[in-house]
Amino acid sequence: MRSAPLLCVAMLGVALSVRALAASVASPLPAEHLSVERLPAKTPHWIYVFDNAFSNEIDSRVHLFDGDTYRRLGQIDAGFNGSVTESPDGATTVIATTYFSRGSRGARTDVVEFTDNATLATTHEIVLPPKRAMTVPNIFNVAYSADGHFVYVAYITPAASFGVLDPAHGTVLGEIDTAGCALVIPSGPNRVSSLCESGRLLTVTLDAAGHEASRALSEPFFDADADPVFVQGIPTAAGFAFLSFLGEVHEVDFTGAQPAFAPAWSLVAPAEKGKWRPGAMQVGAIHRGLKRLYVPMHVGGEGTHKDGGTEIWVFDLVTHRRLARWPMHIDGASPVLAVQVSQDAAPLLFAATDSSDVAVLDALTGHVKHIEKHLGQTPWLMLNP
Amino acid sequence: MRSLDHLFETSSRSLARRTSRRSLIATLGQLLTGAALLPLLPVDRAWAGDAKPRVDDPNSCEYWRYCAIDGFLCSCCGGTSTSCPPGTSPSPITWIGTCHNPGDGRDYIVSYNDCCGKTSCGNCKCNRNEREKPTYRPSRNNDLNWCMANSDANYHCSVSVILGVAEKK
Repeated sequence: MRSAPLLCVAMLGVALSVRALAASVASPLPAEHLSVERLPAKTPHWIYVFDNAFSNEIDSRVHLFDGDTYRRLGQIDAGFNGSVTESPDGATTVIATTYFSRGSRGARTDVVEFTDNATLATTHEIVLPPKRAMTVPNIFNVAYSADGHFVYVAYITPAASFGVLDPAHGTVLGEIDTAGCALVIPSGPNRVSSLCESGRLLTVTLDAAGHEASRALSEPFFDADADPVFVQGIPTAAGFAFLSFLGEVHEVDFTGAQPAFAPAWSLVAPAEKGKWRPGAMQVGAIHRGLKRLYVPMHVGGEGTHKDGGTEIWVFDLVTHRRLARWPMHIDGASPVLAVQVSQDAAPLLFAATDSSDVAVLDALTGHVKHIEKHLGQTPWLMLNP
Repeated sequence: MRSLDHLFETSSRSLARRTSRRSLIATLGQLLTGAALLPLLPVDRAWAGDAKPRVDDPNSCEYWRYCAIDGFLCSCCGGTSTSCPPGTSPSPITWIGTCHNPGDGRDYIVSYNDCCGKTSCGNCKCNRNEREKPTYRPSRNNDLNWCMANSDANYHCSVSVILGVAEKK
């Protein structure tokens, strides 16, 4: 019996020797060639995640993430306090940003950069006057006209105005004053609306040269003192929806010459009002085909409008009924600071959290399919062109 | 510039409406006295530890006068709650908050200046938004980079300077 262990050791030695011999006679690894990866074919589940990089803001960037494979496909740099938008055909990412000549200091250059979404290579740029609105990301900091002929850039110095750019010829066509109103809400081929402190919308109509042809102020549709609206509008089929701090939904139709306001409705029941409320950096997403609205909600008081949602509430935009409440902590997600939904028939809901993760959910059931850890530092805006 | 003038006119008129001259002078006097004494006061450096947040601790986001700061506390970056860190420049334009001081039961008008010219401090991130308003009301908005008008427009950190007592409406 004492010889059994010796036998085992001997057999193991033989096995290792055979393996080493086999390795020595196998072909060596072939020489390799360095290449640049090409993007696969685009799917409806690609998401552009804007990372404000708040702890080192000169280095913001956009991550391209695949919601099916959970792969990070590439990156677009976004400079200091940048903003992002997508062209109407989804072919181009536009970054409006600022660079300093010595990295973190020195002469300031404001610029709009165009990136080809098929290659993620920056193709050209337009230098701006040093007036760009330096603020947190929002779809109304920089925006395309519906036909793609103009790009609008919000200026705040803190005097408010906006620039009109010709992306095809790489030129700044002009600047339009919007005193008392801010940001660029695009509609049609030649209209720009701005949100006003008075609760109105200022709408400027442009001529073919990108100059002001006319302007009009709407009636007030919110009260900036009693219940301000978030500036993060949510694209609808006919325009944008604006949520208020207390949870009112203001749907604005931008298809006509002047904006039209649907009667406001509430996300919260009377018993919930003042307790549950929306809060985030990107405070809602709408699936336009399904007519469903997704909102990060939390329990909090005045001043918590930037607190993330502990739950995502789902609403039917036709009936205004709440369809579901999806608590996020059950799946290990921290409060949600940004949401976006894909527009296809098997939609994904993306939820960026205050711990920098991005959760991928089935937008029909709320099932959390995946949590991508640390998708950037402060992912505060997501686009799904 | 018309809008800039209008902004400051509006802010000044609003401030004048909410403050009495006597209270402002008294407050400035207290502020100057307080600023002279500040380096002598013991400071709890364990702001991020397990210590309970203190409403009178300039290194804590819970400090009463930080009620509408969304940024990095200069007091954790080489400055204080009322001074910028060495080598940075204060922003001449600001947003305004109204904060309640539990120490004396008064509400104070507070100017939140950014300190500019170096990249983000990255220490003591503080996100409080009491009475903060969106971008269309810039004088009450803390999302804007208030270093925007500085020659070096990079954002480093934020301070909180008392302007006066807010009168009750």
